Amino acid sequence: MSGSARIVENAVCLGCGCACDDIAVVVDGGRITEARNACPLGLRWFGDGALPGAVLGGRSAAIEEVIGEIADILRSARAPLVYLAPDLTSEAQRASVAIADQLHAFIDGVTSATASEGILAAQRRGRAGATLGEIRNRADLLVFWAVDPALGYPRFQSRYAPDPAGVHVPNGRADRTVIAVDVGAQRGPNDADVRIQMTAEEESLFCASLRGCLAGRTFGGAPILARVTELATRLNRAKYAVIVTDGESASPTAAPSMRASSLIALTQALNATTRGSLCTLRAGGNRNGADTVLSWQTGFPMAVDFARGAPAYTPEDATLSRLARGAFDAVLLIGATMSLPDTLTGALRGVRTIAIGPRASESAVDASIRIDTGVASIHESGIAFRTDDIPLSLRAVLPTPRDTASLLKALGSAIAAKGAVA
Amino acid sequence: MTQLRITGGAIHDPANGIDGDVRDLCIDGGRIVASLPGDAPVLQANGMVVMAGGIDIHAHVASSSVTLARRLLPEEHTLDPARAPHVDDGTIPRSGGGGTVPSTFTTGYRYAGLGYTTVFDAAVAPIAARQTHAELDDTPIIDGGFFALLGNDEYLHRQIAASEMRRATDYAAWVLKSTGAYAIKVVNPGGIELWKRNVREVKTLDDPVGSSNVTPRRILEVLADASIELGLPHPTHIHCNNLGVAGNVAMTLDTMRALEGRRAHFTHLQFHSYGGERGKSWSSAARQVAEYVNGHPEITGDVGQVMFGDATTLTADGAVEYLLHSSTGRKWINSDIELETGCGIVPYSYREKAAVASLQWVVGLELFLLSTDPWRMVLSTDHPNGGSFLSYPDLIRLLMDRAYRDEKLKSVNQKMLAGSALADGIAREYTLNEIAIITRAGPARQLGLVHKGHLGVGADADITIYSRDADFAKMFSTPRYVLKAGTLVVEEGQLRRAPAGRRIFVQPGYDDALLRDLGKYFESYSSVQLANYPVTGLRDTPVATRGG
Repeated sequence: MSGSARIVENAVCLGCGCACDDIAVVVDGGRITEARNACPLGLRWFGDGALPGAVLGGRSAAIEEVIGEIADILRSARAPLVYLAPDLTSEAQRASVAIADQLHAFIDGVTSATASEGILAAQRRGRAGATLGEIRNRADLLVFWAVDPALGYPRFQSRYAPDPAGVHVPNGRADRTVIAVDVGAQRGPNDADVRIQMTAEEESLFCASLRGCLAGRTFGGAPILARVTELATRLNRAKYAVIVTDGESASPTAAPSMRASSLIALTQALNATTRGSLCTLRAGGNRNGADTVLSWQTGFPMAVDFARGAPAYTPEDATLSRLARGAFDAVLLIGATMSLPDTLTGALRGVRTIAIGPRASESAVDASIRIDTGVASIHESGIAFRTDDIPLSLRAVLPTPRDTASLLKALGSAIAAKGAVA
Repeated sequence: MTQLRITGGAIHDPANGIDGDVRDLCIDGGRIVASLPGDAPVLQANGMVVMAGGIDIHAHVASSSVTLARRLLPEEHTLDPARAPHVDDGTIPRSGGGGTVPSTFTTGYRYAGLGYTTVFDAAVAPIAARQTHAELDDTPIIDGGFFALLGNDEYLHRQIAASEMRRATDYAAWVLKSTGAYAIKVVNPGGIELWKRNVREVKTLDDPVGSSNVTPRRILEVLADASIELGLPHPTHIHCNNLGVAGNVAMTLDTMRALEGRRAHFTHLQFHSYGGERGKSWSSAARQVAEYVNGHPEITGDVGQVMFGDATTLTADGAVEYLLHSSTGRKWINSDIELETGCGIVPYSYREKAAVASLQWVVGLELFLLSTDPWRMVLSTDHPNGGSFLSYPDLIRLLMDRAYRDEKLKSVNQKMLAGSALADGIAREYTLNEIAIITRAGPARQLGLVHKGHLGVGADADITIYSRDADFAKMFSTPRYVLKAGTLVVEEGQLRRAPAGRRIFVQPGYDDALLRDLGKYFESYSSVQLANYPVTGLRDTPVATRGG
C-alpha cells in the first residue's frame, strides 16, 4: 500500500449471489489493488476497477446529443426490446423498466434465459424459503442437491452454512449434518457427511418417492427405496432442514427438468412435520434485483410485454424465442454484456442495438451505439439484492461521473419529451 | 404551490368540531390557511362533501413480503392490467398490474383515486427496510411510512432474557432510526420464533420463547413501554397471538389486560375476536372485545374487516399461513427472515356461502357497530388480507346504510351466526362525520399526525371532495376532487397529477453504548455488516420524538 492508498470497508461483492458485504477494497492511484476477504471469483469480479469511458457510434460525441439520438431510435421503433444484463444497481433497473413502460416495449433480462424454471415453479406452488442469515443460525441439516457451492458460490459454506457458528448451532459445522445429493455428473460438495447418488433419470421418481415417504407412504422401486428412506429419515429428524439448489441452469437451451418444482414441493411438504426451507442460489450482478424491481413495478418478474400499454406476462415467449422470429426492430441493452449467454449475443446479430453498460465499447455484441458506464458496487452506489432477496446498500468504491441510473433517467426524459406512445 | 379557495362545500372536519357546515377552505403553499386574497382561484364545491384526505393506518403496500406476493400472483395481474393514467404535470405516468396486490405505481394512483393520501405499511422486516423505501419512492402521490417488526427479534429477546431493559429500548430506537420506520410493530409476539422452532401454537402469554424469561407477555410489555419511553407518536402496534383461530378472544383479552394502563394499538381485531374452541366451533366474540376497548381509553384499534371476494393473506405470522395452506391446498410462501421475523402468503377467497367467512364478516361489522368511540376503532381491511383497499367504499356503505347491510346479511351463510349481535339486529348507521373519523381524523390521532386528518389552519392540504349520492359506495369510490399537499391530483373524477409523496418516519435517539454490544452480536450472528445495516439518504423531515 502506498501513502496515497485508501481502503473502502464493507464493500459488497456482486461476483455471485452470495453478495458478501465484508470486502475491504484497497484503492491506490485510481485502481483497485486489493479486495480483502474476497474469494477468487470475487477478485476477478472486482478486477482493478479500470473501465473505458467511451461514447461510440453516435452522430456526436456529446452525451446529451447521443441520448437524444437514442431516444429518437427507440421512440420510432415499432417493437423495441429493453434487456437487462447483470451488474446494474436496482436504481438503474427501475429506470430501465420506466423506459420500457414509456416505449410500450418488451422488457426482459438474463433471468428468463438462465433461471426461469425456479421462478415459474414458485409461481405455481409458492415456496418455503429462508434468508441466508436464518440458515446460518438455524439449519442443522443441509442437503446440497446437485450443487457444490465451492464452484459457483465460493464463500457460501464459510460465510453462511455449514461452517459458521449460529445461535441454534453454536458449534458450527460440528452441529450440522451435510448431505451431498449427486445427480449424474452434478455433484454435491466433496466433504459431505453423507452422499446419496442417483442418475438424472432417477431424480424425478426419487423426489416423488421422497415426498411420499415424508408423509409416511412408501412407493418407488426397491433400487431407490433405501436411499429415499435414508434421506427422509434424516430430513424428518432435523430441527431445521435446508435444501440448497442451483437456480441457474448450465445453459439456456438445456432441457427443462422438474427439479425446481420437485424441490419446492418437497420442502413445503417437510413443514408438515418439522421445519425446512429451500435455498436457491443465483449468480451475481444483482440478477435478483431485476426480478424484484420488475415485480414491484409491473407485478411480473421477467418477460414483460408493455405492447398493449399495460404489463402482460409472456414467460413462455421470452426474449430468445422472440428474437428467433425477428420480433424486435430495436434493442436497448443495459448492463454488462460480457455476462450475457452466447445464445443471446448471437441472436441479437442483425437487430439494431444500443448498448449502455460497463465495457459496452468493447462488447462482442454488434451494437451501433455504445456508451460505457460503471459496474454496480464498484463504480455506482445504490441497492442490490442478495440471492435470498435481501436488499443491500452499495457504496461505490471508485465513483465515476457517468452513472447508469442517471443516464437512463435522462434518456427517459428525452423519450417523454417526444410525447406518449399511442 | 398555488393558492386555492374551496367554496360552497359542506365541511366534515370532526377534529375541529365541524359537522357539515358550509364554509370556505383556503389553501396556500400546500397547507390550510386562515384566509386568501379575494382574487385567489376558486374551486366550486357547491352541494359537495369536503373531508381531509383518507389515512390508512394498516395496509401492506410496500415491502419485501408484498413483492413476494406480487410475484406469486401473475394470474391476478393478468386479469387486471392497469394502463398509465393521463397526467398533465410532467411526471411520467406508469402502467402496472392490479389485483389484490397491485404494483407500486398502480397502488399510489388507486389510493389517490379513492381519496386516500396517506398510507402506512404495517409490517416491514427491518433488514429489508431499504426495499420499502425504494418501493414507496415508486408509489406516487401518497405520503407513506411503515412499522418495523420487532416482536420476534433475537437480539431483543436476548436483552429481555438478560433483563437488560434499557438496552432493549435503545435497540428498538436504533432499529427505528436505522430503518427510517415510524412505529414499533409486534406480530404474534414470540410466536414467529416458536414457529421457526416448530412450535406451532402459543397457548398462553406466559409460554416460554427459548428462555423462561422471554414470553409473549414480556415482549409486549417491553415494546409497549419502549414506545412510551421514546415518546413515539404512535404506540406499539400489536397483532396478537393466535390470529384467525377459533376461541382466540381469550388470548386477545389477556393481551389487552396485560398492557392495561399503557398506550397500545391493537390491529385487525376482527381476526382476533372469535369465540368457540379451536378445531371445534366458532362464534362471534366481537361484543367482548368492543366492550373492553370502549372501557379503556388508553387503547386504540382498527377492525381488519373481511369483505367478500378475492384477497391475499400476507403476514409476518408464518404459522397461521401454513394452517391456511394445509386447509385450502392453495399455493403458499413461507420466508424465515434473519432471526428477525418471518413471512407467510396464501391467496384466499372469502365467499358468502362459507360459514367461517360469513362469521368473520359479521364479527368485523359488529366491532364497528358496537364500538362507542369511533376515534379509537378505525377502518381497515388489513389490505390485502381481509380484502383490497378498493373495497373501502362498499364497507362504508355497510356502515352507513342499515337496509343495505341487513339485505346483505340475509345472503350470507347463517350457520355460525346464531346469537350474534348483528343477527339480532343493530340499528346503528354511521354518520358522515363518523365516517370522517374512522377514515381520516381517527387514524391521524392514533398515529399522532398533527398536520393530517383535519382541515384546520396549518394542516396539510390533503383534501377529498365527494359528490353526494344516495349510494354511499358510489359516493366514496369516485371522489370528484382530491388535493394532495395543495396539488389537485383528481379533477372531475380523473387522476390528473401524480406528485411524489413524502416519507413519514421517526429518528429517536439511543445511547451509543448499545453499538458495542450490538457490534459483537452482528459479528457473531449476522449475515451483513453492522455498518451496512442502516438505510441511508432519507429525505424529508422526521416526525419529532423524545430525544430524537
